[in-house]
Amino acid sequence: MRLEWKKASVGRRNFLRGATALGAASMLPMGWASRAMAQEDGVLRIRSYGDLSTMDPAHSVGVVDENIHASVYNKLIQYKPGTEWGWQMDAAAMIEQADATHINFALRDDIGFTNGHGAMTAEDVKFSFERIIADATESPNKPDMGPLSHVEVTGEREGTIVLNDPFAPLWTIALPYITGNIVSKAATEAAGGRIGTDPVAESGPYLRASWAAKEKTVLKRNPDWKGDAPVWDTIEILPIDDENTAEIAFDAGELDLTRVSLGSVERYRGGVPNGGALIENPSLYYVWLGMNLDHPKLQNIKLRQAIQHAIDVPSILQAAYFSAAAPSTGIIAPGLIGHRPSELVAPAADFAKAAELLAESGETNVSLTLDVLNKTEFTTTAQIIQATLAQIGITVEINLLESGAFWSSGENENLQLVLNRFSMAPDPSYATAWFTTEQAGIWNWERFRNEEFDMLHKAASAESDNAKRDEMYRRAQDLMEESGAYRFITHEATPVVHSSRVAPALRPDGLPLLRYFGKA
Amino acid sequence: MIQFAFKRFALAALILVVAVTVMFLMIRAVPGDPVSIMLGPRATPELKARLIAEMGLDQSLPKQLFIYFSGLLRGDLGVDVFSGRDVTTIVFEQLPHTLKLIFSAILWSALLGIGLGCYAAAHPNTWIDRAAAAISVSFIAAPAFVVALLSLLVFAVYLQWFPAIGVGEGFWDTAWHLVLPSLAIGLSWVGYIARLVRASMLEVLGENHIRTARAFGLSERRIVGIYALRIAILPVVTVIGVGMGFLLSSAVFTEIVFARPGLGKLVIDSITSRNYPIVMGAVLVSTALFVISTAVADLINAILDPRARSGT
Repeated sequence: MRLEWKKASVGRRNFLRGATALGAASMLPMGWASRAMAQEDGVLRIRSYGDLSTMDPAHSVGVVDENIHASVYNKLIQYKPGTEWGWQMDAAAMIEQADATHINFALRDDIGFTNGHGAMTAEDVKFSFERIIADATESPNKPDMGPLSHVEVTGEREGTIVLNDPFAPLWTIALPYITGNIVSKAATEAAGGRIGTDPVAESGPYLRASWAAKEKTVLKRNPDWKGDAPVWDTIEILPIDDENTAEIAFDAGELDLTRVSLGSVERYRGGVPNGGALIENPSLYYVWLGMNLDHPKLQNIKLRQAIQHAIDVPSILQAAYFSAAAPSTGIIAPGLIGHRPSELVAPAADFAKAAELLAESGETNVSLTLDVLNKTEFTTTAQIIQATLAQIGITVEINLLESGAFWSSGENENLQLVLNRFSMAPDPSYATAWFTTEQAGIWNWERFRNEEFDMLHKAASAESDNAKRDEMYRRAQDLMEESGAYRFITHEATPVVHSSRVAPALRPDGLPLLRYFGKA
Repeated sequence: MIQFAFKRFALAALILVVAVTVMFLMIRAVPGDPVSIMLGPRATPELKARLIAEMGLDQSLPKQLFIYFSGLLRGDLGVDVFSGRDVTTIVFEQLPHTLKLIFSAILWSALLGIGLGCYAAAHPNTWIDRAAAAISVSFIAAPAFVVALLSLLVFAVYLQWFPAIGVGEGFWDTAWHLVLPSLAIGLSWVGYIARLVRASMLEVLGENHIRTARAFGLSERRIVGIYALRIAILPVVTVIGVGMGFLLSSAVFTEIVFARPGLGKLVIDSITSRNYPIVMGAVLVSTALFVISTAVADLINAILDPRARSGT
């Protein structure tokens, strides 16, 4: 075989020469374009920690989907932006609690669905809500609807939501959150009853213009929207998993809003680039150390109490959360019904008390395992727990687990200590739901079983008197702590930075309500 | 040559089958219940049972493997039971992003590395050679994640010349978005290729046919750039073929740091969520990419150097 030598050499040299010239020529204007990119007027670029998984509210997996759904669909009521939890009218022109199990509503007359599916009617509300609870839909969000029986349609735009039992979270979760999104009956049925990653009909102030998997979701103004006009023409939602990457993108001027890591809060307190601002919101997450009550090593309540007293929460918050988070008093965050003003075991460790309890327990040479998700804040927390428990003579071996293995730990009967973190929707029932007897070994990894707790959880969901609910949930958390199975650590925080051109509209826990975003 | 190509691709197919089988078994050995992870805390037992059946997890392991390979033979990578989308669609919409990243990194690092290596070899034991050696070793020693973060801070945050995240739209915007990620994963390859080309070139420059070319009065530039380079570049072709695998690994990290979509990011997300069909689809495609690239590198070598065909 004979090769043409000349072709290769001429091509290589010419290519190198050409590429160099082209690269040099193109660099300068590109640099200028970079500065202008995020500043493009009318385009809001925000970060989401995950990517869209579905446009079907029945199968939505949480806030990532809900950010988009809440912009392109309507609910009877929506969360109100601000620092206190509350709701405001959305698709409803009127909504009232007629009695403990009946809620009357009337829809606005100016909301329509895209793709020729007509005006929003009470039939659409009935269809949307009832399909969530229908067995055929197999919606994982069905529990959010609680004891919903059905929706009665009393007029073209009027209806009544009928519950089997009173259900307080209807106003805090069911209606203003994921399950409250109203979809078009005609469009959904035409699509075979299930909506995939493409919407079948939209009705909100924005329309989903495009979605590129793991790249971005683009929302554009709905030209047929008759309500208050959204301020931004276009919203680009960029799925960025890594908080450090998001911070760099924000600092580079490529994002208008992102949640930042707790470790960066101090830096942003000293100044946010490009005239932006830092907003520090509390969070609904709750972090705690759990002890498996079924494990033979943890049967002694004095030992468990010794562990509770030996864990120094302020040290954890300083080292793992960079002093950007406050200690928690339980599983229910501040601002919600049922939040306890103080815990039974003070946040600071009491080593003398812990040693005394350990001595009373009669346990010696205690050696325990601590299962931890392999994220920095948790491994740091685990190391501090390891060090503080060592001070009273308890040896802890840390098991680092990646998320897949960690989140399957519920079925692990050999689990001893576990550092855990759950999220919740803004109603206390959402927090207590995971610690009932029926959840033991599923999401109740401590195998905490308490009849009074179970009763309180059930009764509080049906209680419409907020003062009574508050008392019930406080008592429920007392029971958890008294069992010795829990050492509450923190609710973390949701620090958010935004650019100078944005007036963000955030829930009290720092999550964005995109349709209400304004310009500074 | 045809026989060689046939043998090489048969071996590639065998490697692919072994790799996919091993991956299939490994992911099932990893602790973690995929159904609980995928459906979240509030999944009903009925919903879990349905998903288990849809994923074929209620079948024995050999049967699951048989079903998977049967599907593969039909060109069916399965369906992501969660989103209901074809795995083929999901994987192939991510693949171009990774390919662009890898090929741009290979392209610029090969061009620069070969140039640097040739130049150093043409001026052995001079300050140019020593400077090229220092630069090459520095590049090799620079960890990709350090290069990525530093380049982000300098070129994206401080100078704002290049974008920090995303993939861009259209040719120029895409190329612009590739600059920093491909710099991060390609930089060490510049040094590696430069050292390889220099060593290979020095050996070739001492051979008889080069001395003959010099005797004929050909310019040194022509001798190095045309006659010697053809032979000196052979090891680079092999290295680049194998390097595809390393670049695929680097792409995982790069796609996360630069918030780029791609196969690496897809695999990480899918493993975390125990989304078996997508993990298998993505691994199959990336393994195929690696196997094919090494096979193609072998073929190119065989074309350029007949000794490689006979195995001598």
